[in-house]
Amino acid sequence: MLTNYLKDFENKLKKVNNLNQLITLKNEYLAKNGLINQLIKKIKDLPIEKKKIFGIEINQLKKTVGEKINQKEITLNKSNESFIDLTLPGKSYPKGSLHPLTYTIEEIVSIFQKIGFIRVSYPEIDWEYFAFESLNMPKGHPARDDFETFFIDLPENKIYGKVVLTPHTSSGQNREMRRIKPPIRMINISKTYRPNWDTTHTPMFHQFEGLCIDKNINITHLIGTIDFFVKNFFDKNRTIRLRPAHFQFTEPSFEIDVSCGICQGKGKINNKKCRTCKSGWLELAGAGMIHPNVLKTGGVDVNTYSGWAFGFGPERCMMMKENLNLDDIRILYNGEIRFLEQF
Amino acid sequence: MNIKITHQWLLDFLETDATPYEIQKYLSLSGPSIERIEKIDNDYIYDIEIISNRIDYACVFGIAQEASTILPMYRKKATLKLNPFEKYQFNKIKINEEKYQLKIKINDKLCSRFTALIFDNIEIKPSPEFIKKRLTLAEIKSINNVVDISNYLMLTLGQPVHVFDYDKIKNQLMILRESKKGETITTLDGKTTVLPGGDIVIEDGEGRLIDLCGIMGGLNSAISENTNKAILFVQSYNKEKIRRTTMLTGVRTVAASYFEKGLDEERVESTLVYGAELLKTFANAQPKSKIIDFYKTHYQKKTVETTFKKINQLIGIDIPKEKTIRILNNLGFQVKTNNNKLIISVPSYRKYDISISEDIVEEIARVYGYNKLAGRLSPPVYIKQPEEYEKLYQITLKIKYFLKHLGLNEVINYSMISQKLITEWATELNLKLEDHIKIKNPISKEIEYMRLSLLPSLYKNLVDNTGKREILKFFEIAKVYFKNNPKKNSPADEKYRLAIATNTDFFDLKGILEALFKELNLKQTPQYKIINKNNFYLVELDIDFLIKNYQNLPKYQPINPYAVIKLDKTFELSKNLTYQKIEKRAFQSKLLKKIELVSLYKNKITLRFYFSSLNKNLTEEEAKKELDQI
Repeated sequence: MLTNYLKDFENKLKKVNNLNQLITLKNEYLAKNGLINQLIKKIKDLPIEKKKIFGIEINQLKKTVGEKINQKEITLNKSNESFIDLTLPGKSYPKGSLHPLTYTIEEIVSIFQKIGFIRVSYPEIDWEYFAFESLNMPKGHPARDDFETFFIDLPENKIYGKVVLTPHTSSGQNREMRRIKPPIRMINISKTYRPNWDTTHTPMFHQFEGLCIDKNINITHLIGTIDFFVKNFFDKNRTIRLRPAHFQFTEPSFEIDVSCGICQGKGKINNKKCRTCKSGWLELAGAGMIHPNVLKTGGVDVNTYSGWAFGFGPERCMMMKENLNLDDIRILYNGEIRFLEQF
Repeated sequence: MNIKITHQWLLDFLETDATPYEIQKYLSLSGPSIERIEKIDNDYIYDIEIISNRIDYACVFGIAQEASTILPMYRKKATLKLNPFEKYQFNKIKINEEKYQLKIKINDKLCSRFTALIFDNIEIKPSPEFIKKRLTLAEIKSINNVVDISNYLMLTLGQPVHVFDYDKIKNQLMILRESKKGETITTLDGKTTVLPGGDIVIEDGEGRLIDLCGIMGGLNSAISENTNKAILFVQSYNKEKIRRTTMLTGVRTVAASYFEKGLDEERVESTLVYGAELLKTFANAQPKSKIIDFYKTHYQKKTVETTFKKINQLIGIDIPKEKTIRILNNLGFQVKTNNNKLIISVPSYRKYDISISEDIVEEIARVYGYNKLAGRLSPPVYIKQPEEYEKLYQITLKIKYFLKHLGLNEVINYSMISQKLITEWATELNLKLEDHIKIKNPISKEIEYMRLSLLPSLYKNLVDNTGKREILKFFEIAKVYFKNNPKKNSPADEKYRLAIATNTDFFDLKGILEALFKELNLKQTPQYKIINKNNFYLVELDIDFLIKNYQNLPKYQPINPYAVIKLDKTFELSKNLTYQKIEKRAFQSKLLKKIELVSLYKNKITLRFYFSSLNKNLTEEEAKKELDQI
């Protein structure tokens, strides 16, 4: 009988948007002359048997209306009193940075770890024997003169020769062959040094050496391994090519190129020559099959074993990854906070 | 080294249906890298990288020979139209009269082949259009017919030549010798160079230096507009000598970049003969002397033996025998086979770079195409990483990430520093210049000494960045280098250090260290000294110590079910009552578990002491008793 009244009330309550409207509604129902009291007044006119039921129903209605109005009041008050802007930034926490090369090296290491290569480390200050002789670079080789290598003012060793700042991580090849017998699966990432200092060279840089010696190792293993690295380190859109090259410590030797991430391998940006690459390609690494002289010097039996080696520049790898376009690589090592803090 | 040649020029020697862009693509994959290609008018310029052991292809003919071998592997037609090294022999030169003479004295250790031919009736004039144009496209300035011909010869055949004015050579005498230190020569470009000594030079009959051999001719013997008689001069020089001179004097010329790689004596003959033909055609020059040819040690035929099996084993696929032989023949190798065996004779121009079976493998594999070889992973095998490396990389990385998350910035500085920086830090770090490992040939004073401490570099980082950010907190993990290596397995003792530097305050840096030690669960904390230099705070630690004392998990403390009583007490700090002293005394109580700093105002410190027992619930009375002892 009174359900229509309740429905009516609920419809009206829905339209209430502020406290004033709510008070009006409250008065309409609950004030002295409000609707409820008017209904109560009607009780006396009813037949006795209906009076009781009607009384219960009115009380129920009164209670429900009261509760609903109170609830509404709470909600209205809440949204009125304290507006919370959830778009404000959260509490600020310190954000430090690692040198971008740290991440690059970590990534490289983890890729090679998956295929069983272990990371080792060898001296940065070493004798010529490890840097050159053991790598099939005899005295008089151009890389050994002081335009290509830093020499150290320490006494010469009778067996191992002069002291140098290692110009490449390949100095670790012979040392690894002395440390363990094949099979060898090594990577060696280290600081290396050469006397060049301009926008594309720093006198200290990093190199990353891979070495694999085992029975029946051939060129396809080198290609497969580098392919695995490139597919994991760069995105799938980057392609590689191999070109013939010359290194004293590998034969055959080749250069590995990756398609340029700046011009997408086209060699051109907006019809202008891409400044970063050569016709769409970037040199990534030098690689090859280990020269038999190098294996022999390392005490490895060349009739049983063969192997491959490669050398990458982690700086280049890093820059070649998309969105890391450095015009002047000297910024890597001059401690500029506005550079470092970005990583 | 790069050379530039043009497509039309290449077609003088090569017959092909490949486009310039196809030539670029395929040659780059299997032979010389053509880094760039540029179309100008009806010709294309190739910018070609020459790898150091292939100076033989640093010329138009060399590229044509490579192209004729490589292009057919990519289903392109390509054949050589002519081989100038077969065509041009001494007997092609017709000499009517041996009117002029040149006396020579040669040291064959400096010059392994010396040829010369004297011409008269030379007409100096502009070059014909095709030579001018080709040289211009190759970025060589056209000067006159004779100079241009010498450059044209070099780019066509890969052998630099020189032309002297015969009348300017005193007494028709040339003595080729090593220079003495301090001798000077004025070269064609008008520059005077003081020679370091031991350089290959030529003096004439009056003792004047007339040529800095293999690098640049002397101004005093150069041809000019008035030249009537000229000497065409084609030589092979000692490559080490040339490189040494050009590096020491800084006189870098294109000729030097050829000679320093070692040229083939056998190609000298054809270059002289082709040169004579060009001089006759374009300068009306008549040969008027006998051909001077000093060539003491002739090329001895060199052979390499290998087997098809060996070749295919290293490449990883089976290349058909006929294909293998065809590749070698096209490159100028002669091949005899005996069942599985190959006996390969090496052409003279490859004598320096082909010696062993693996060199032959390279020729076959590259021409066949590395890109045609399917890659596969190297067979898997487990190799134990030495524990020292495993720990070093794992723990340093942990330290790096922890410090980063505390808000520090990692920096990588050069391992070398300047004398100035060492001196600035001499007192604080007790640094002595003579303890540092010194670089003999630093290219800058900034990088002359190997670091014995990371702090000077980090201090410089703070100075350099002052004003760029309000708060600066740097860290670096790197090696320092000591002179004596007790292990004797390498020349220096290289040790990893961690250094932290901030522009904040002492307690900030101390807090960073304490947090780090806690993070590493150190069994023992290291001794350290925080240095305050001009209100920058710096500290340096041995990584070895941190690694030795590192624990993956701290020692587990059972959870105490009994009540903990917290009591506060205030102290007045002084030189006699430091926090350290309070702490030491407090922990004499067996019931004290922890001390917390509640507040510090001036020198008044309020500490909160946590007392509990592992056996029972303490009463407040018992705890107070303990507190009173402190």
